[in-house]
Amino acid sequence: MQTARYAVALLLVIALTAYGRADEPPEEEARACKLVRAVMCESITGYEPKYISVAFSIRAVKISCYTSFDDVSDTTFVEHKWYRRDELVTVKRLTLKPPKWSTYSSVQLREDDKGPWRVEVWDARNQMIKTLRFSVTD
Amino acid sequence: MLLFLSTIRWQDVIDILLNSYILFRLWVLFRGTNVIRVLAGIGLLWLFQRIAVALGLIVTSWAMQGIIAGAALIIVIVFRNEIRNVLQAKNLRTLLWEFPQKGKRTPTDAIIEAVYDLARNRIGALIVLLGKENLDETIQGGVRWDGLVSKEMLVSIFYNGNPVHDGAAIIKDNRITRVAGILPLSMRDDLPQYYGTRHRAAAGLAEKTDALVIVVSEERGQVVTVKGNSFDAIHDNLSLEKILDNHLGMTCRDNKDPRPARREFLTAAVACVLCMIAVWFSIAKGMETLTSLEVPLEYMNRDPHMQIVSTSINTVRLHLSGSSALISSLRTDQVKAKLDLSKAVNGQNTFILSAGNIVLPPGLRLNRIEPPDVDVSLDKPVLKEVPVQIDWVGALPEGLILESATVVPSQISVLGAEGIMEHTRTLYTEKVPLDKLQSSGNLTARVSFDQSKLSLASGAKSDVVINFAIGRRPK
Repeated sequence: MQTARYAVALLLVIALTAYGRADEPPEEEARACKLVRAVMCESITGYEPKYISVAFSIRAVKISCYTSFDDVSDTTFVEHKWYRRDELVTVKRLTLKPPKWSTYSSVQLREDDKGPWRVEVWDARNQMIKTLRFSVTD
Repeated sequence: MLLFLSTIRWQDVIDILLNSYILFRLWVLFRGTNVIRVLAGIGLLWLFQRIAVALGLIVTSWAMQGIIAGAALIIVIVFRNEIRNVLQAKNLRTLLWEFPQKGKRTPTDAIIEAVYDLARNRIGALIVLLGKENLDETIQGGVRWDGLVSKEMLVSIFYNGNPVHDGAAIIKDNRITRVAGILPLSMRDDLPQYYGTRHRAAAGLAEKTDALVIVVSEERGQVVTVKGNSFDAIHDNLSLEKILDNHLGMTCRDNKDPRPARREFLTAAVACVLCMIAVWFSIAKGMETLTSLEVPLEYMNRDPHMQIVSTSINTVRLHLSGSSALISSLRTDQVKAKLDLSKAVNGQNTFILSAGNIVLPPGLRLNRIEPPDVDVSLDKPVLKEVPVQIDWVGALPEGLILESATVVPSQISVLGAEGIMEHTRTLYTEKVPLDKLQSSGNLTARVSFDQSKLSLASGAKSDVVINFAIGRRPK
């Protein structure tokens, strides 16, 4: 009787542990991307950034944040958080697929957007992996 | 009472004492003359005017004000001789602090004996004993005499055979200054019929001046004294002596007992001070007015380990009252609002503002503080490495592109309150213009930040070097 009780308790612990792990993303998946390039540019042509700069004229109308990743082991995502003077303007969630993936996000510029900007690149583990700083000027 | 005394400034005390002294000096210089009586009348009018103002009698107060202004002008015109005597005849020392010197004693016995000798012998005489007023312009003609008063001298002057017997002898102190003086005749029609020209001349001078005139009738041998508008018939030596003493007492006091004179001066001094206190209160305190002033609130005695994160106000509006003179001369730097933060704790603090927080110049009263309380939020300062970002402005020349830019150092250590530092993610440089950049290079820029909230850590510099690369824009 005593032995049967211990067996049930053991099974219960094993079952709960297995359930908990099923909810968490695999560690390999969260780690499985490596940022190899991150730049700000005026446009993307042929999956390549064009007119890379750190100061964009308001006349550019649109600017993009281009990021390129290696060693993407599984489908995951990154976030581009756009800030103007420390104020969050927009968050773009971008999917990454194995084994290499390039992606970008863009914002349309308006007259009021002049000033210093930054884009923070965050991975799926909610860790910031890069900050790009630039200005929107006349 | 103590609260009231605390509103009195040292300037007010000097104000009262100085004006009391001026009033006292005026009394000393003009006492015994009609100027003082008229001045007292003007003072009374001024009192009525103040009462009229207090009661809100607009027309009455306006009329009183006009009368006072007119009276002041009239005083100068009517009493120009007295004023001139005071200002001309005395030196500056006499004017400012000296008491009038006692004149030489007029020999009343000699005058009395001479008068009765003249009366007994039915010799007409007209003797003028000067008061305080100068009679140079009132008495016409005559011969300058300047002889010591004696019975024989007076009798001989009025002796019928003397060429100067017809007219008045003028006595000042112990000297006969002038003889055969022509006095202005009185126009009164109530004088007895038997009064001749001599009496009429005596009345004319007496009613215009403060002099005492003794008339000896040639026809009846009667002696009459005239002062002001009153005639006194003299029947014996004693009554004449009394009248002479009373008259001369104004200008010539007995040296032997200075106490009554001192008492008179002391009484006058006290009266002047009391009078000026009343005037001062009427002017300075009576004209109370209100004002409101916005002053910066100074936060003091903060724990050096804590920083002020935020305050609900930085200025307070003070509603003050006081005399209009004080209010109009009030400067903003004379009023301070201070808040002691020595008992403030980390976090939110609320303080009630009271009179203890306000520093006012003496004489002003605090009625209300707006707002009545202030919220002060304190926080402990923390050190943080904050990234520096360039704040580019303007535009590069056509065809150029700013390819990259780095800041050295890329981060700066700053100190600030914990709550503020949590939200401080970036420090920006001052605006860096692009317009004049032609090629790659470097430049120095200053990092700008709110110095009331953040401060540089020791050793940190606010200047950074910007290395930048400029390329040609691909076509």
